[in-house]
Amino acid sequence: MTSNMKKLLAGSALAAALVASFAGALYAQDKPVIATVVKISGIPWFDRMNTGVEAYQKANSDVVATQSGPATADAAQQLQIIQDLIAKGVNALAVVPMDPAVLEGTLKRAMDRGIVVVTHEADNQTNTNADVEAFDNADYGKALNVRLAECMGNKGKWTTFVGSLGSRTHMQWVGAGEENAKQHPDMELVDPNNESFDDANATYEKAKEILRKHPDIKGFQTSAGNDVLGVGRAIDEAGLSGKVCLVGTGLPNPSADLLESGAITAIGFWDPQKAGMAMNALAKLLLEKKEVTDGMDLGVEGYNKVSVKKGPGTGLLVVGNGMVLADKANYKEHLF
Amino acid sequence: MARTGAQLAMLLGINAVLLVVGALISQGSFLSLFNLQSMASQVPEIGLLAIGVMLAMCAGNGGIDLSGIALANLSGVVSAVIVSSMISASDSETAYSLAFILVAVLAGLAGGVINGLLISRLNITPILCTLGTQMAFTGLAVVVSAGKAVTVGSPALLSSLGNDMVAGIPISFVLFIVVAGLIAAALKFTPYGLWLMLMGTNQKAAVYAGFPKNGVLIATYALSGTLSGLAGVIIAARNVNVKFDYGSSYLLIAILIAVMAGVRPEGGYGRVICVVLSAIALQLMSSLLNFGGLSNFVRDLAWGALLLTFLAVGRYNLTSFIALKTPGTSNSSATPSRTGP
Repeated sequence: MTSNMKKLLAGSALAAALVASFAGALYAQDKPVIATVVKISGIPWFDRMNTGVEAYQKANSDVVATQSGPATADAAQQLQIIQDLIAKGVNALAVVPMDPAVLEGTLKRAMDRGIVVVTHEADNQTNTNADVEAFDNADYGKALNVRLAECMGNKGKWTTFVGSLGSRTHMQWVGAGEENAKQHPDMELVDPNNESFDDANATYEKAKEILRKHPDIKGFQTSAGNDVLGVGRAIDEAGLSGKVCLVGTGLPNPSADLLESGAITAIGFWDPQKAGMAMNALAKLLLEKKEVTDGMDLGVEGYNKVSVKKGPGTGLLVVGNGMVLADKANYKEHLF
Repeated sequence: MARTGAQLAMLLGINAVLLVVGALISQGSFLSLFNLQSMASQVPEIGLLAIGVMLAMCAGNGGIDLSGIALANLSGVVSAVIVSSMISASDSETAYSLAFILVAVLAGLAGGVINGLLISRLNITPILCTLGTQMAFTGLAVVVSAGKAVTVGSPALLSSLGNDMVAGIPISFVLFIVVAGLIAAALKFTPYGLWLMLMGTNQKAAVYAGFPKNGVLIATYALSGTLSGLAGVIIAARNVNVKFDYGSSYLLIAILIAVMAGVRPEGGYGRVICVVLSAIALQLMSSLLNFGGLSNFVRDLAWGALLLTFLAVGRYNLTSFIALKTPGTSNSSATPSRTGP
C-alpha cells in the first residue's frame, strides 16, 4: 500500500503545485488590502458592484481592492469567507452582510485585531467602523412620490405596495410617500400597503384585483424589486400603459421592456457600482486614520456630500445621496 | 482491512498536501498560528453534523439525516428564547451559559428521538422522514423566533467556548475532537457499535439474529440529533446570534464530508477519524481558495472533483490498479477490498 499511495500522493502534489503557481501569482502583495465581501457572487447586482471595486482599484493603485462572495446565499458561507480573510491578514473589510446579526461576533473579532470594517445595507450593524447607506430612506420615498404626483397631475386615486409589513425600509419609503402626497389634496390614497412578498406573479394578481376594484385608479407606488414588474404587467395587459402611473423600486435591465411600453413610469434604485466604490473610499480614509466628517466628499458620484451620524454601535452611519430615478428616456445609461 | 487503511492514508496525505500548498502560495502565512486557529474554529459546526450523517448512513437501509442543520438552528433558537426568558444573561453569566447549553443539547436530543421513532416505529424511509422533520424543525424555529435573529449574547462561559483557546487550540475544536473520540470509542468498544454496523450490513439478518433493531435506530438518530444540538451551541457561541436559516448550505456539505470519508451510503461501514480528517480537508481547501483569492465557485468545483476522486478510488480500487503495474509490491493491496454484499 505504501508505494502506490506515494505515487498517488505524488500525482496530487503535482496537480496542487500547478494550482499553487496559479494562485501564488494572485497572492504576492504588500500594499494595504481592502477586501469587499458581498452577499452572493455571480448575480447581476453584485457583478455590478464588482465593476465599482475594479474601477476603484484602477483609480487607487496604492491599495489592493478585491471582491469576493459566497457561491450560495447562505450567511454561514459569507461568515467563513470573512474569517479566512481576517486570518489572511487583510487591512480592511467592506462587507454587504447577508444577515447583519450573524456577522456581529466575527466583525467584532476583526475590529479587535485592528481591521477596519465598513458595511453597507446594514444600518443596524453594531460592530462596524462605518456603515454606508446610499440614501436617506425618507428622502427616497419622497422622491418616488414626487415623481408619481407629477405623472398623475397631482390628482386621482393611488395606492402603495410593500414587500411585507415587517420590512422596515419599505414602510419608511411608503410612509414618506404618503407624507408628500398630503400636499396635494386631490390625491386620494386607497387600500394602501399591499404586501407583495417580492413575488412578481402575486403582485400581478393583486394589481389586477385593484384595477378591477378601482377602475379610476391613477397611480401605484411600489417598494420591493419585483413589484414594478408585476404591477407593470397588469397595467400593460389592461391596456392602461401611459394612463396609469407606476413609480417604484426596480432594476433597469428587467424593467426595460415595461419602461419602453410606458407601463412603468419611472424606477428608483441605487447603483451598487457606486456603493462599492464608496465603501472602498471610506475604508481607505479610515485606514489612513483620516476623520470622517459631516458633509465630506468621498469622491464618488452620489456620495459627494455625505451626512455623518453616530450609528447604533460605536461606528458611524454615513448616508449619501446616491438614489437614481430612471425613466424611458434615461434608463439606458444605467443598464445592469 | 486494506481499504480502511488506504482511505485514512489518502485523507492524511490530502491534508498534508493542502497544508504544503497553502504554505507555498501564502509564503507561510497559511501556517501562521492565527490562521490555523481560525480554521480549527470553523471545523466543529460542520464536523459534528457530518458525524451525525455518518451514523445515520451506517444504520443502513437508506439511512441518512437531512435534518441536521435545521435541528441545530432550532436548538439554538429554542434555547435562546426559553433561557433568556428565565435567566438574565447579565446577572448570572455562568448559569445562563450552562442552561443554554443544556437546553440546546436536550432540544437536539428530542429532535433526534423524534426522527428515530418515526423511522423505527412507523417504518418511514429515512430520507423522506428527515426531509419532513427538516422542514418541520425550520418552520418551528421560524415560529419561535418570529423569523428574526435571536440574540444569545456573549456571557463569559459561552463566549470562551466560541472564542478562547486552551493551549493554543480553540476550545470548540477540543470539544469537537473529544466528542468525536467518544463516539469512535462507542462504535468500537460497545455492543451498540457492533449492532449498528452489522445491522447496516444486513438488516434482515440482524433482526433474525435478535438485535434490538428499533433501539439501535432510535439511539442512532438520537445521537445524531444530540450532535446537532451541540453544533447549535457552538454556532451560538461563535456568532452571538442564532437564526433559523443559518447554514442552509451545510446540509449537502455534511453529506459530502461523510462520503469523502469513505462512509458507505449503503450502510455498515464508516470511521469517525476519517470523517474528522475529511472535514478538516474540506476546511483547508476552502480556506486555501479564499487565501488565493479565487472565486467560491472554484471551491465547489474543487470539492466536486475531490469527491469524484474518492468515489473512483473506492469503486474501482485504483490503489491496487496502480500496484499491479508495479511489479514486486505487496499483493495484499491487490485484493479487491470492497466487493460488497
